[in-house]
Amino acid sequence: MRTSRFRRGLALFWWLIVAFLYLPLAVIVFYSFNAANSAAYFAGFSLRWYQRLAHNDQLLGALSNSLILGIASSLIALIVGTLIGYGLYRHRARRLGWLIVLIYLPIVMPDIVFGISEMTFFVTLERHFGVLGPSLLTMIIAHVTFQLPFVALIVYSRFVGLDPTLFEAAKDLYASPWQRARHFLLPTLKPSLIAAFFLSFTLSVDDFVISFFTAGPENATLPIYIWGAIRRGVSPEINAIATLMIATVMLAAILSLLFNRRDRPGRDS
Amino acid sequence: MNESSSAIVSPESTTAIGGQARDASAITLTNLHKRFGHDAIALEGVDLDIHAGEFFTLLGPSGCGKTTLLRILAGLEAPDQGSLTIGGHPVTDTPPHLRSVNTVFQSYALFPHLSVRDNLAFGLRMKGMAAAARRQRVDDIAEFIKLGALLERRIDQLSGGQRQRVALARALVCEPDVLLLDEPLSALDAGLRSQLQVELQRTQKRLGMTFVFVTHDQEEAMVMSDRIAVLDGGVIQQVGPPADVYERPVNAFVARFMGHVNLFEIYAADGNQAHTALGWLTLPRSLAPEERKGVLLIRQEVIELDADATENANALTATVRERLYRGSRIEYRLDVGGVTLMATASNLGQRLHSVGDQVKVSIFADDIVRLDA
Amino acid sequence: MAESPFPLAAHSRSISPDTRHLLWSIAPGAIWIVIFLVLPSLYLIGVAFMTNGAYGQPQMPLTLDAFRQLAGFGFLGWSPGNLYTLLRSLWQTVVATGLVILIAYPLAYYISTCREKWRAIMLLAVVVPSWTNQVIRAFGWMNLLSPGTPMAETAQFLGLIPPNMGLYPSNFAVTLGLIYNFLPFMVLPLYAAFEKLDLSLVEAARDLYASPVSAFRHAVFPQTLAGLLAGTVLVSIPAFGMYVVPELLGGGRAMMLGNLVANQFAGGSNWPLGAAGALIMLLATLGGLYAMRKVGKRLGGGEEVVI
Repeated sequence: MRTSRFRRGLALFWWLIVAFLYLPLAVIVFYSFNAANSAAYFAGFSLRWYQRLAHNDQLLGALSNSLILGIASSLIALIVGTLIGYGLYRHRARRLGWLIVLIYLPIVMPDIVFGISEMTFFVTLERHFGVLGPSLLTMIIAHVTFQLPFVALIVYSRFVGLDPTLFEAAKDLYASPWQRARHFLLPTLKPSLIAAFFLSFTLSVDDFVISFFTAGPENATLPIYIWGAIRRGVSPEINAIATLMIATVMLAAILSLLFNRRDRPGRDS
Repeated sequence: MNESSSAIVSPESTTAIGGQARDASAITLTNLHKRFGHDAIALEGVDLDIHAGEFFTLLGPSGCGKTTLLRILAGLEAPDQGSLTIGGHPVTDTPPHLRSVNTVFQSYALFPHLSVRDNLAFGLRMKGMAAAARRQRVDDIAEFIKLGALLERRIDQLSGGQRQRVALARALVCEPDVLLLDEPLSALDAGLRSQLQVELQRTQKRLGMTFVFVTHDQEEAMVMSDRIAVLDGGVIQQVGPPADVYERPVNAFVARFMGHVNLFEIYAADGNQAHTALGWLTLPRSLAPEERKGVLLIRQEVIELDADATENANALTATVRERLYRGSRIEYRLDVGGVTLMATASNLGQRLHSVGDQVKVSIFADDIVRLDA
Repeated sequence: MAESPFPLAAHSRSISPDTRHLLWSIAPGAIWIVIFLVLPSLYLIGVAFMTNGAYGQPQMPLTLDAFRQLAGFGFLGWSPGNLYTLLRSLWQTVVATGLVILIAYPLAYYISTCREKWRAIMLLAVVVPSWTNQVIRAFGWMNLLSPGTPMAETAQFLGLIPPNMGLYPSNFAVTLGLIYNFLPFMVLPLYAAFEKLDLSLVEAARDLYASPVSAFRHAVFPQTLAGLLAGTVLVSIPAFGMYVVPELLGGGRAMMLGNLVANQFAGGSNWPLGAAGALIMLLATLGGLYAMRKVGKRLGGGEEVVI
C-alpha cells in the first residue's frame, strides 16, 4: 500500500512538472490566437497576427537568414565533423587526448564567452586587415565551430558501435579505398549523418547568443528579430511567430519518435 | 605497385562453384616475423608450405600467433620481415582488396545495412562483375550452401548458424584462390558446431579449394584437417597430418595441447631402460641410444588394464582413484606409487573397476613415445 | 628492408600512411577550432589585460585596470555593484542547480520505473521544450509572470508582491527561468544512471539493511552519483554564464555576470572590463570541469562524467 501511494505521488509530481514545462509554451500558442493585443485577457479567436506575419518583410528576411545560416553551417559542419569523427575512430589507439579537449572546448565554453570572443576577433580582424567583418559569413563560421563537435561525436559513436571486423571484411571482399567509402562507410553512416545534420540545423536555428554577437546589422535571424521585438515592447505578432517555431519543434519531435520506432533493429536470435 | 597482377581476381572467372575440383593455390611463407609494439612478439621466423587444395589448420592457444598469421595471409596485417607467396606469386605487399583470398571472420562481419543477397554479392560487385552474372552466381552459391530461403532477409533476422553459412557463402562466392577461416565455429553451440565441421570439410573437398583454418580446439582441428600446424609463442612447433601430431607430438607442449596428460621426465637411462616417476620403464626398441632423454608420453588409450604382461611390456600395479564414465569409453585416474596415470578403456561391456580397486597395468614398450621436454 | 642510401630522404618519408590519414581526417576540423575559437579566446584573454581606449576599444599598455574595475574600483571610488553581480551569479547558479537536482532526481527515477515503451516518450516530453529557442521560452515566462496574469494576481493576493506588479522582473523569475532551461540537462544523465541501476544490489541491500532509507543511501545513491555529477556540470556551467534569462526576466537588479560582460561589448563601452569578466567565466568553467573530473575519478566514473 505504501509503495502504491509513493508511486501515485510520483505520478502526480510528473504531471506537475509536465505542466511546468509546457505552460510557458502553451500561453504563447494560446495568446497567438487572441483577437486583442493583450497577454492578460482573451478577447476571442483570431488569426490576425498570423496574417500580419505574411506582410512583415523584416521578419521574412530574418527567416531567410536563419534558413541560409542553418543550412550552410550544417553542411560545412557535417563534412568537417564527419572527417574528425572518422579520424578519431580510426586512430583511437593513439593518444589523442589533446584532440578530445579541443573538440569539447566549443561544447563547454559558455555561450556568452564564445560569442564575444568571436566578435572581438572578427571586429579586430576587420579593423586591421579589412576581412571578416560581422556578416552572415562570420555567423556561419561561428555556427560551424559549435556544430562541429556534435557531428564528430555522433559519427564517432556510430563507428564505435560497429563490429571493427566489418572494415576488414570490406577490404577482404575486394573493395578499394573509394569503394569502401562509397559502399560501406557512407551507407552505414547514413542514419547518423542525417541525425547529425538535423541536430546541427536545430542548434543553429536555436542559437541566439552567439548569433547576436557575430551578426552584422543586416543579418538578424529569427531569434534576433524576436529578441529585438521583445525589447522594443511586445508585439502580439511575436506570439504568432513563436507559435510557428514551437509547432516546427513539436513536428520534429513526433517525426523523431516515429523514425526511432521504425528504425529499431529486430531482436537478436 | 608490385608485379603481382595475377593475384588480382579475374571477374570473368567462369568456374561454376560446386562443380569439380579447380586449380587450387599453394602458399609459401618464408621467415615471417611480426611484433606489436616493442616486446609483444606475435610471430618469430615462421616458415610454412601449405599445399594446394588442402585443408590446413593453424592450431594453438590464444596469443600463439595463429590469428596474426591468418591476418598476414589475408593482407590485413603486414609482416615486419619475411615473404609470402600465394599460387607462386609474391603477395607480401599486396593490399587485401587485390588478393584473391577471402576470409570467414570469427564475428562473421556481415554488413548490417545489406540483405543476405547483397552481402553475398558484395565482393563480386566490388570486382566489377555485371549485375546479371552476379545474380546468377549468388543464386548458385545460395543453392550450394542451402541459403535459398534466406536471400532477402536482413542480417539481424538470422540465427547464429545461418549467419555462419552466409559468411561462408559470401567468401566462397568470390572463388578465391585461398579461403581463410578465423575460428568460424567458436560462437556456435556444440551440436551445431560438430554438424558444421563435417559440412565445412565436405565443402572443401568438393571445391578442392585451399582452406586455412584457425582454431584453438584440437579435436576440431583433428576432425577437419588434412594437416595441422601447432603454434606456440609465435613459433611453429610441429606440422603434420592429425595422426602424426596426435600420436607422435615432437615436444611436451604439443603433447599437452593435443590433450595428452601422461608425460614423465626421464631422470636417467640405462640401456633400454629409463628411470621415471613411474619407476624403471622399458623403452621402445626403435629408440637410438642418444635419444634416451627428455620426456616419455604414454597415451591414455594404449594402457591396457588387467592384461598379463607380455614380452616387451611394462607391468605396473595401480589403485583406481577415480572413474569417469563417458559412455563409449571409461576413464580411470590411477595411482602408481603416488604418481597419477590416466587410462582410457573402450566400453566393450567388460566389468568396470571401482574406486579403490587394485589393477594390473600393462604398457607395451613400443607404444611409448619419447619427446623433447 | 634495405637501408635507404639517402638518410634525409628516408626521414622526410617517415610520415607513415597512417599518420597521413590521421592528418587529413582531423586537421581541417582541428585547425578550424584553433583558428576560430582558440585564437579568439586567447585574444580575448589578452584584451582583459589591456587599457580601455576612448571608444571602448582596447589599447596598449598592459594593465590590471580591468580587474580592478571588476572588483568595483571606478572613477568615483569603490562601489559594490560588480561584486554583487558576481556573487549573485554564483548564488543563482547554486540555487538553480540545487533545485534542478531536487526536481530531476525523483523525476528521472519515476521515468526509469515506467514501462519501456513509455520511457522514450516521457524523455522526449522533458526534452522537447528545450528544443525551442531560449528567447521564446523566456518570453513565455514573461507572458505568465507579467502583471494581471493569474500567477501574478495570486502572488498579490498572498501578499508576496505589491499590488499591480508582476512577478518579473525579479531574482525569482531568473531562478525560475534557469530551472526551466536546465532541467532536461539533469534529467537525462540521471535517467541514464537509473536505467543502468543494478536492481539486484538494491534487493541485496534491502536484504542486509532492511530500512529503505539506508538501502537508498548505500545501494541506490552511489550508483547514480556519476549521473548526478554529469548533470551538475551540464547545468551549473551554462547557468553561471547565462545571458538571455537574466536579461529578459531579471532587469537591472537581477543582473548576472553574463549581462555585465555583454553590456561592455554591446554598448561598446569597455572591452577590457568585459574580457576580464569573460576570463572569470572561463576560469570558473575550467575549474568546474576539473573539479568534477577529480571527484568523478575518485568515484570511479571519470570518463563518463566528462562525456
